[in-house]
Amino acid sequence: MNTIVLTVVLPLLAAFVVPVLCRVSPLLGRLLGPLTLAYAILLTLQVWLGMEGKPFSIALGGFQPPLGINFYVDRLSLLFTFLTLVTSLLLWPWRNETEPRQYALTLLLAASACGLALSGDLFNIYVFYELISVASFGLAAGAAFAASLRYLILSGLGSVLVLCGIAIVYLQTGTLNLAQLSQLAPETLNTPLGMSAFALILLGVGVKGELFPVNSWVPEVYAAASSRVSGLLAGLVSKLAVLVIVRLLVLLFQQESALQLMLILGLLGAISGELAAWRAKDMNRMLAFSSIGQLGVIFIAFSIPGETGLFAGLALSLHHLLVKPALFLLAERWRGSLMGLRGAGLASPVAGGMFVLLALSLVGMPPLPGFWAKFLLFTGLAAQQSVIYQVALGVVLLSIVIEANYLFRVVMNLFQPAGDNSVAVITDHGWLNLGTTFLLSALLIAGMLFMGPLGAWLEGVAIQAADPVLYFDTVFPVSAIH
Amino acid sequence: MSIQILLMELVLMPLVAFVVGLFMVLMLRRIGAKLQRRVGPPMMQPLYDIVKLYGKKTQISHGWMHDIGIIMAVGGYVAAETLLPVPGMDGIADKGGLVTLVYVMMIPSLGLALGVGQCANPNGSIGIARALTAMLAYDVPFVIVVFGVAWYFGTTNLVDIIAIQQAGGVSGWGAIAMPLLAIAGLFALQGMLGKQPFEIYIAPAEIATGPMVEMSGKYLGGLFVMQCFQLYTAGVLYVSLFLGGGENWLFFLIKVFAVVAIPMTVAFLFPRYKTEQMIRLMWKWPVMIGLLGLAFVMH
Amino acid sequence: MTPLDELLLFSGLTLVLLLLLGRFSYAGKIATVFYAGQLLFLAKMADRIADGAIMTFSLQAELFGQQMSWRYDALSWFFAVITLGAGLLSSWYASGEWGERFRRRGGNLWLLHVALAANVFSMLILLGSGDLLALFIGWELVSWASFLLMTVAGGRAIQAAMRYITYAMSGAMAILAGIVLLWSHAGGLQYGQIIDVMPQLSQAQVWLLVALFGAGFAVKMGLLPFHLWQAAAYAETPGPGAAFFGAISARMGLYAIILVLVQLIGLARLSELTIPFTFLDMRDFWAWIAVLTIILPTYTALRQTDARYLLAWHGIGQGGYMLLGVVLGDALGSAGGLLHVFNYATNQAVLFFAVFAVMFRTGTADLNKLGGLITRMPISFFAMLVGIIGLAGLPPMNGFVSKWFVYRSLMVEGEPLLFLGAIIGTLGTILSVYKLIHNTFLGQLRVEHVEVREAPWSMVVPMIILMLLIFATGVAPGLVLDWVALVQSAVGLPVVENTLGGIELASGSLDMLWVVGVLFAGFGIGALLFYSGGRTRQVHQLDNYAGGHFLTAETRYHYSDNFYAGLMHLIRPWYRGSFVWLESTLGSLLGIAASLMQRLYGALHPSIYLLVTVVVTLTWVLL
Repeated sequence: MNTIVLTVVLPLLAAFVVPVLCRVSPLLGRLLGPLTLAYAILLTLQVWLGMEGKPFSIALGGFQPPLGINFYVDRLSLLFTFLTLVTSLLLWPWRNETEPRQYALTLLLAASACGLALSGDLFNIYVFYELISVASFGLAAGAAFAASLRYLILSGLGSVLVLCGIAIVYLQTGTLNLAQLSQLAPETLNTPLGMSAFALILLGVGVKGELFPVNSWVPEVYAAASSRVSGLLAGLVSKLAVLVIVRLLVLLFQQESALQLMLILGLLGAISGELAAWRAKDMNRMLAFSSIGQLGVIFIAFSIPGETGLFAGLALSLHHLLVKPALFLLAERWRGSLMGLRGAGLASPVAGGMFVLLALSLVGMPPLPGFWAKFLLFTGLAAQQSVIYQVALGVVLLSIVIEANYLFRVVMNLFQPAGDNSVAVITDHGWLNLGTTFLLSALLIAGMLFMGPLGAWLEGVAIQAADPVLYFDTVFPVSAIH
Repeated sequence: MSIQILLMELVLMPLVAFVVGLFMVLMLRRIGAKLQRRVGPPMMQPLYDIVKLYGKKTQISHGWMHDIGIIMAVGGYVAAETLLPVPGMDGIADKGGLVTLVYVMMIPSLGLALGVGQCANPNGSIGIARALTAMLAYDVPFVIVVFGVAWYFGTTNLVDIIAIQQAGGVSGWGAIAMPLLAIAGLFALQGMLGKQPFEIYIAPAEIATGPMVEMSGKYLGGLFVMQCFQLYTAGVLYVSLFLGGGENWLFFLIKVFAVVAIPMTVAFLFPRYKTEQMIRLMWKWPVMIGLLGLAFVMH
Repeated sequence: MTPLDELLLFSGLTLVLLLLLGRFSYAGKIATVFYAGQLLFLAKMADRIADGAIMTFSLQAELFGQQMSWRYDALSWFFAVITLGAGLLSSWYASGEWGERFRRRGGNLWLLHVALAANVFSMLILLGSGDLLALFIGWELVSWASFLLMTVAGGRAIQAAMRYITYAMSGAMAILAGIVLLWSHAGGLQYGQIIDVMPQLSQAQVWLLVALFGAGFAVKMGLLPFHLWQAAAYAETPGPGAAFFGAISARMGLYAIILVLVQLIGLARLSELTIPFTFLDMRDFWAWIAVLTIILPTYTALRQTDARYLLAWHGIGQGGYMLLGVVLGDALGSAGGLLHVFNYATNQAVLFFAVFAVMFRTGTADLNKLGGLITRMPISFFAMLVGIIGLAGLPPMNGFVSKWFVYRSLMVEGEPLLFLGAIIGTLGTILSVYKLIHNTFLGQLRVEHVEVREAPWSMVVPMIILMLLIFATGVAPGLVLDWVALVQSAVGLPVVENTLGGIELASGSLDMLWVVGVLFAGFGIGALLFYSGGRTRQVHQLDNYAGGHFLTAETRYHYSDNFYAGLMHLIRPWYRGSFVWLESTLGSLLGIAASLMQRLYGALHPSIYLLVTVVVTLTWVLL
């Protein structure tokens, strides 16, 4: 069971070894990363099968919590560990033969993301979050200078806010262990001060979660960064930020106002992102804005109280994690003005066809998975009595209309015969990008075919994650207290 | 009713209509003559005209639709007559009713329009365009009238409508119960018959008689026959709706001729309206009167 | 295997087969045969449907606690027959020379066949929906399949298709909102659950539901004010596609309206909902929407100069009659509305076939560039003639019967203004379709069309079949009315008691057998009279009265442009384009909002946002 720690440790080690190893043996250097990740995936699966659905806690270094730090392993955290590793592997920088730094950074990102997903106390979460920041700066640094600078500043400020929030929590409760906090929170954090802590953490983490309004780095960075990096940031890193918020909401901040704050920011993000995407002139910016919009929708979903919200939010997150990187990979060769894409779909019908499939799922055409995720969201929203949830329902529906409009404007452009004076049409997507996209699309189709079991399983994850008592009991077993 | 009697009625009704129609054309001409202080034609002149036209040596056809158009124009009215009860004969009036009659009456116009269309003469086409526009104009008050009558009597079966009126004596007539609708109906009648001031679609000086421009010989003869039927149909319909139909043939004919005489007299006293003037007029006064009448009827 | 399993599987098989074989020249023929096969499977159900049985689909899905099932009742069956008939004849039309030419000119015939099969398949699925979730899934599938078919032509069709999908998505989202609201009230989406929960809902809630569902379905149906997308989207689709769309596609909206507003919510409930600031209740409101949908698009059609657009606009208008009949809700009116679905489908299909036959031979559908084709394409002319008589609703064609039912119902219910509106629509239709046939087939034959021949048999035969159908169901409307009565009893509407020739009523009957019989006897007498006259001599079209001038082959002697000049002189100021204005204003507002958002994200100092937000949020939290 404790092997799960290796999913953090091994990639971290590998990240430091890779640059050296690359000098010694380029081949080994290139193989090390993927092999490590693959092994970590295996480990995760093993743990998954071994835990039989019951969460457990691992005290690191032999010190029991709350004194020592611990990893909390439940289905949710394992799911995110797994997703992190798989996504990192799928988006592995295979082509960067001369650039061991990319290997190291990707491994670092994977390690810290796994750590974030597994951590059982707030301070560790902060540390891993910072590590993720470092790794993602490094990855995004290849982009235009102004864009990365903007990302750097915002991210740094965000970290400060998170730290402030954590400090308040610590001042109020005297501990940073999540399990213990979940016991203390109803008395100590149910105050304006506690709420302000949540607001600070929300905004701070929201920088990576593309939360409105701290997401203005997104379009610039995605427009400039490579598709792989955009896919990682939009697909993976943003979800991890969301995961942090979700854990905090479940365990610490169960006030209604916390949910409402997130709901409002999510709403603004959804509508502003989709509107901006509607006007976007080039592919990457369009995808970036639309990613802001979708993250907004995900925040809305998680702001529904209870496991309904968790279930819908998880479904939306998984879907987005699957679709967005795939779209970014397709966009690799379709950069630049949307107008210049005339006929590109006719020239490479496979890529065009997959774009259509992904766009349809994103828009939520039944029976593709995107529809079911949104359906969960809508039923969740409709079941709430508060007016603001009904408003959210309307806004999300509107945003889908806008989304359909701009996505299919692109599709139409792709499949229009190119005019005489258009630039030479790109046909070559590279087998790697195309293959990865194909894999993701196949997963999407498989998800559609096995929607029933998949949904039931995901609901189980959500129910388990939504239970703060279970969390506490797992970390502090009854036997240990007595 | 046995099938033999029905068949006999079906033969007799159009025949009677044709004969009465001939006399109506004669009356039309006589009224014109009286107003213009002329002697007017002899009694058999309409029949002579028709025979002459059918017998002419030069018969110019512009194609098969031209021929079929004329056949439809005459045949449609022949059929329409069987839907229109006269004293002693109901024909198939109970199988169609008022709405069907109104629509069957459009078939001759459609036939004419198609026939004229094939003549490839812009004058004819312009005439048809105007005639159809005129139809749009007068049918609006007309359907208001039809609706009001059907609502008042609670049926669209002309046989029943007539029977209800006759049961109430003169005071049971539609015109007494629904005077405003009867007035609106007169307007519509004027338009339907295409008499001045609503004969812009013929306008001889401007579009060379419009639909008739390419009609000669038996084609014109067909239109002549059609006019006989048209006068008869419009008159009988009005009598059936508002004047209690025919108790017997004498009263029936008196009423019908009296009704048809009104538009004919009006026709000779007015100049011609332009198309848009006609629409404006038709959509204003008769519609207002009709709707007012309808409001009275329905409350 | 239930009969429904067979039908849906076979329909899916058709789609798969066309995906694989659509590139080959015999694909059209295969498609035709397979549609005929589907029709046979449908016919196999007929007996049991007539007994009131409900066909079930073996596959049922349960997702997230929602049971999804599919089944066919008489309502589904009725619409499915029309769908498959339209699909069959459209693909027949495309199977021969038309398809060959389309392909040679660079058209994607494969896509056309596949899209058509996808449309048919998705419509069959939609028609079978056994609960609201299945309904929504079917609805979306149909929307996207239509979108696919609309894009086949490329160019202007793409813009029309984009407009369509925007409308369709908006509509679908409204429906989805309605569905989830219902779900939150009823706890499920089975029809039974919804019918049960209806009495417990407040008026305001039902009002909202009707608005959401109604608006969503109205988009597909092209009801005012959501009609703007339809004309271009249908008209720009290549021939068989346009005929298919025109015949049945928009009627899926009617199917859904019947299902949800009539069957689930109930017309009686609609009458209880008042519209604020008016004297109307919801049902009157729908009737008025229907009448406005009849009038405005019909008079828009009157102004068209492209035959395809003219027909497409009429298609929108004719939808109004169907809705009007259904909303009236009595036996007569609803029978008329449902009957009109069938009748109109036959009329519109034959009209589109004729127009595209003309286009096939002459290359244009511009009503100012045609004329006199009657001598060259007599069968197409006759097809169009039958079609326009039906569309305008004159005897002896079937369109008359359905409209007669609606008119009679309006008379019985005492709705003079609605009646007047419906008639005004019919009159406008007569004017407009006469222009269509006059400008295309009558008048002067143009020099460049002298060599034109009749359309090939592969295109003519479907037209002939439709003509026969239109006439036969006009003479004996009882054939279709029997089905309609089944639909009425399945939906829970009062059932019409028809005869073969129409209906027997105390307050005025209709027997088309007699009316048509007498009409043709009349034509016989007319013919007798005509042929007893002198021998006719046929002259050349230029041998004509021309006011003293000589006509030459170069003389344009055809009156086509601005055909109803006098009328237009009066009513032109009434065409204000308010809906177009509304649409573009909404678009502009969206554009402004979007560029504001872009400005927001493009600003140079994002950290200031962050600080501002922190301050604002903390203030909000602490206060």
